[in-house]
Amino acid sequence: MWTYILRRLLQSVVVILGVTLISFTALQIGGDPTYLYVSERATAEEIEMVRRALGFDQPLYVQYLTYIGNVFQGDFGRSLSYRQPAIDIVLGALPATIELTLFAIFLAISFAIPLGIAAALNRGTSVDGGIMTMAMFGQSIPGFWLGIMMILFFGLYLRWFPISGHVPFLAPLFAGDFATALRNLPQAIYHLILPAVAVAFYSLSRNARLVRSSMLEVLGQDYVRTARSKGLTERAVVIHHALRNAWLPVVTMIGLEFGFLLGGVVVIETVFSYPGIGRLVFNAINQRDIPVVQAAVILLSGIFITLNLLVDLIYARLDPRVKLAGGK
Amino acid sequence: MRRYMPFLWAGTASIALAAAVHAQPADDTIVVGLSADITTFEPANISSRDNANIARHIFGTLYTISGDGAVSPDLAENLEISEDGLAYVYTLREGLTCHDGEALTAEDAAYTFNRAKDPANQFTGNTPGFVFSSIGFESAEALDDRRVQINIARKNPIAFGLIAEVYVHCKDSYEAMSLDEAAAGPIGSGPYRLASWTRGSDVVLEKVENPNSPANMQRIVWRIIPEASTRSAELIAGNVDIITNVAPDQIDAVNASGGAAVQAVQGTRRMYVGFNLSPEFAAQPGGDAIQDPAVRRALQYAVDVPAICSQLLNFECVRATGIVNPPNANQSLTPYPYDPEMAEKLLDEAGWPRQADGTRFAIKFQAGQGRYLNDRNVVLAIGQYLEDVGLDVEVELMEWASVYVPLIRQRAVGPLFFLGSGGALWSPLYDMTDLAKVESGTNYTHWNDPRWFDRWADISAATTQEEQRVIIDEMLQVFYDDGPWLHMYFQPDFYGVSSRVDFVARPDEKVYLFQTGLN
Repeated sequence: MWTYILRRLLQSVVVILGVTLISFTALQIGGDPTYLYVSERATAEEIEMVRRALGFDQPLYVQYLTYIGNVFQGDFGRSLSYRQPAIDIVLGALPATIELTLFAIFLAISFAIPLGIAAALNRGTSVDGGIMTMAMFGQSIPGFWLGIMMILFFGLYLRWFPISGHVPFLAPLFAGDFATALRNLPQAIYHLILPAVAVAFYSLSRNARLVRSSMLEVLGQDYVRTARSKGLTERAVVIHHALRNAWLPVVTMIGLEFGFLLGGVVVIETVFSYPGIGRLVFNAINQRDIPVVQAAVILLSGIFITLNLLVDLIYARLDPRVKLAGGK
Repeated sequence: MRRYMPFLWAGTASIALAAAVHAQPADDTIVVGLSADITTFEPANISSRDNANIARHIFGTLYTISGDGAVSPDLAENLEISEDGLAYVYTLREGLTCHDGEALTAEDAAYTFNRAKDPANQFTGNTPGFVFSSIGFESAEALDDRRVQINIARKNPIAFGLIAEVYVHCKDSYEAMSLDEAAAGPIGSGPYRLASWTRGSDVVLEKVENPNSPANMQRIVWRIIPEASTRSAELIAGNVDIITNVAPDQIDAVNASGGAAVQAVQGTRRMYVGFNLSPEFAAQPGGDAIQDPAVRRALQYAVDVPAICSQLLNFECVRATGIVNPPNANQSLTPYPYDPEMAEKLLDEAGWPRQADGTRFAIKFQAGQGRYLNDRNVVLAIGQYLEDVGLDVEVELMEWASVYVPLIRQRAVGPLFFLGSGGALWSPLYDMTDLAKVESGTNYTHWNDPRWFDRWADISAATTQEEQRVIIDEMLQVFYDDGPWLHMYFQPDFYGVSSRVDFVARPDEKVYLFQTGLN
């Protein structure tokens, strides 16, 4: 297994290098980046001075190598908008997105598994039909529309939940301020409910369908029939024998989804004024704050690659039939 | 499962409690919903309007300009200008302090200006990037404890108003801070101090206790709510008191809510279609035609600007007559009427008759989208109006920041392009400085008419306001007749205001809440 992990890590380095190349090229697409660093009324001499100072007068390959060298030392450049280290800005927005993602995944799993099981056990009935219809809607409804509708109904009409905003929980926790984190927790969850439901609805629907099809496949297997013939209760058969095996593709899906959601739920974060990484990157793109975009892309690529690796390892752990390449 | 139930109930109860304490603004607090994020509190790096609106509450300025263009003292109480117009001596009020208690003296004011200019700091905000380059700022020096002298390179009739945009702070506190610390933790000289700033979420200001403070409310909370419909929902729900940039399609909903209303004001941002007259663009299709002032004049009649305002902006506007905001415009000029027949007649006379296919000439019309109010539809409408008089218009809508802005910055957009430019009410010259020189970075049209550009020397040489006004009116007449803009409108601004507060919107996009209170 260690050989496999080592090989995957080496592959990751290649992928990260590719990502840096793409993100570096993005800086050049809009023309001479010097103009991003000078004021509108800068003279030609001032522009030239800045161009030289930032190294934009150097050949592209020299600029790229310098950039790579800096990145591997943790220097992603300074944000053009915030005038602070770009990586600090990105890391500052990450806890909020992790909160939203974790809560959304929690909601999605909590509902998707029972719904998927219920649909599978009641295949062909109105229960199955109802759940699958809901799942189809969940996958069809655009997230921003659902978000706005929830704001109007639960936020404005019923006044049950806040319309927008965020109360930090993980940020003080990461900073070691446990008292603030604990004090913020109820408000944090309260503010998370609407955006998390809007994010989770799609994931919930997809996973409910996945659990259903997985369960249907597993329920027809010999070992399930054997379990039933041993006189086990239906509950024990479903939970301990069927679900345990039906769970495997869901683990993969959830792992990938977690990485995807960490990449930012731009629309939902914007609709709910949620200060996460998706909105940050969206704003950075709009403001052409390339260092922030580059830092976010590279960081998120690293997270996604790591999560992929973890999913593979967990999968191998859950299913003894799976052997990792290089494993014994 | 049963053993987890207490935890479940405890969690539910906590969240219910959280819901109970989710209250509306307190009586000593005003909450404002902004559309754009706040990026810095470094005074020399602030450039966006939303950022500047908050910063102005934290930092004092030497003088201040009201919504209708009136000028009044702020940190300074007096100004003397040298005879050659190159030295501005401000006398500071007595007893000024910064938020950390440090006395604010002339040395601090001079330090503020010189620090913003220091190339080692690489500041690019409004102060060094616009004010200093416009006035040719050279240096600042303290003459004594209360008098600070600002030295500029050339006489400039609007230097006074531009200097009034510079945020003043103390020296010791800023020398002790790194640039990153200064950007996140400002120590200002204004009526409010920064209490907290959660990036992407909110900024909280608290009133500085001072018997002479002009501030009314104890606390101002600025919430970042990018989505227009969410901002409107927060206003209607009573969670915020003022919102900026109400979307035109939500005006009726806000007005119908009973608890809030939309204040629509004609802003100072000048919206126009530019004619790029550079030699490179003259070689493009249509680029040659617009070199002729007669063609440009003909096209003024082709666009129904009031209809665009009422149909697409939900606002009844008066068409612009030029580059200057209405109170300071040449009052003898009347807006070009919508008269497509006149446009066609003038185009025929200019030597561009309709060809067999019904068109006169092809031309590209470039625009960014998502920056200005309903800009995409406005651009498409203008394109259609121009097609109606025989132009074969290729509308090219571009992503704003990554594609359009770089072209604008390199003055390489056109031959027709859509753009807005921030203006002011306190001086016509402020609006006119977009075209201070042929090579100005903001002369995106490359217009070079000497009847305009040669007159700047006359303005500087004018000895009286009346004499200056005559020259300005002559320049504006040239701009009206043969200028490089197809005149459009001054962009309306829509503010949603709760009936709880007595806020009155200004036309210059500034949201200053010093005097705002509860109804």
